[in-house]
Amino acid sequence: MSTDNTTEIESVELDCEGLLCPLPVYKAALVLDKLESGARLRLITTDPGALQDIPAMTRQRGDTLVSADDEGGRQLFVIEKGTRR
Amino acid sequence: MTTPTTQERLGTDLSLRRFAHVGDMLPDVENPSPLVRANRVLPDRDYELFLKLEWLNPFGSVKDRTAAYLIDGLARRGELKGRELVEASSGNTAIALAALAALSGTRLTTTIPDGVPEEKKVILRMLGAEVWETPDDLCPVDNPKDGAIALARALAASEGGTRYAATRQYESEDNVTAHYATTGPEVWRQTGGRVRWLVAALGTTGTLVGAGRYLKEKDPSIRIVGVEPEPGHRLPGMKSFAEASIPAIFDPKAVDHQVVVSDDDAYRVTKEIWREEALMVGPSTGAVVHAVSTLSLEPGDVVVAISADSGVKYTSYFEDILGEEGRPNP
Repeated sequence: MSTDNTTEIESVELDCEGLLCPLPVYKAALVLDKLESGARLRLITTDPGALQDIPAMTRQRGDTLVSADDEGGRQLFVIEKGTRR
Repeated sequence: MTTPTTQERLGTDLSLRRFAHVGDMLPDVENPSPLVRANRVLPDRDYELFLKLEWLNPFGSVKDRTAAYLIDGLARRGELKGRELVEASSGNTAIALAALAALSGTRLTTTIPDGVPEEKKVILRMLGAEVWETPDDLCPVDNPKDGAIALARALAASEGGTRYAATRQYESEDNVTAHYATTGPEVWRQTGGRVRWLVAALGTTGTLVGAGRYLKEKDPSIRIVGVEPEPGHRLPGMKSFAEASIPAIFDPKAVDHQVVVSDDDAYRVTKEIWREEALMVGPSTGAVVHAVSTLSLEPGDVVVAISADSGVKYTSYFEDILGEEGRPNP
C-alpha cells in the first residue's frame, strides 16, 4: 500500500494482483476503515469476481465507486470513502 | 553414542500422567478425556447423563482431536511441504492448530468470524497465529453466511497455492476419522458398551459423524443426536444450517435426530451446569444438555453429551447474561 499526500485529496493505493475474492474485498475494507471521509483508494485486482464484489462492497459500506476499469484482466477501481463510517 | 533427548529420557507414562511433550497428552482410547456423570442438572430423571469433558484436552477443546488428524493427514499426503497452515475456525480448531503448529515450527493463519469472543482471538495471537477477523457477510454478491470459510479458501488458493496448506476441517475426512478413531471408541469403552444416546453440537459435524459412525457399527440401535442453534445465534462453534452451508463431511445417515436450541435455553442451562455440577462448561454444552431434556428417553438409558469446551473462553459473553447478578447490593 502506498500513500500520496501531495494532492489535496488523500489517495491510497492497494495492489491485490493475484489475490482471489473475497481477499481484495477484505483488504480494501481494512484500508477504507482507516481513511478519512473523502479520501480515495485506488485498488488493483486481477480476479474477475472483483468486478461484482467491489461495487457491491462500496454500496454496502456507503462509499462511492468513482470509477471501475477492466483492461486485459487487470481491474482498477477508484473508491471514495463515504461519510457514514 | 548420542545423548538421549529430554523427551527420550522422560518417555510417556499414562499411569503417572507424565508426558514427554504436550502432544502426547492428546486424547485417545488409552488416554481418554474424562466422562463425568451429571447428578443434579435436569432433575427428576430416570436415565444417566454423562458429560465427556473435552475441555480437559491439552489445548482446551474437542478440536484437539480434529487438529491433530488434520495435520497428520496433510503430512501423510505430502501436502505440508514447510507451508504455513490456514483454516477457517470459530476458535477452537484454530487454537489447537496454532498450538500444534507451534510445536512443529510452523504457523497458522486463521479466518475467524468477527462475533467470536475476544478471549479466543487473544489466545490465538498468544500462540503466534495471525488472526483475520471476518464478517459473515464478507462476500457482498453471493452473501453466504460463511465469510470466514470463503476467505480461508481464497488465502489457500492465492499466491499460486505455495504459501499456505489448508486443513479444511469442513471438508476433510480426517476430521471424521479423528472421532471415529478416538471419541467413538472412548465413549464405548468408558460406558462399558451401555451408551444408548450420543448428543453433540453441530458445527463441522465431524464429532457426530465420526463417533456416531463408530458407535452404530458397535450397536445400530444407539441414537445419535445433533444439536443446532437458531439462526442469528450467539453460540460459537455451532452452526445453524438454516443460514450456513452444510459441511461437505456431513453424513445425514450418521445422525438420527436434530434438535434446535435457543440461545436463552443454552445459556440458562450452562449457568445451571456451573452451579449445580460445578463444571465450568462453555455455552454449547448448555445447548447440548438442554437438547437432552427434549428427547424421549427410556428409564435406565445412558446418555453421553459432548462438552466441547470450557467457559473460560466466553467470560465476556457470560458478563452479558449475568447483568448485576453476583455483585453486592448495598
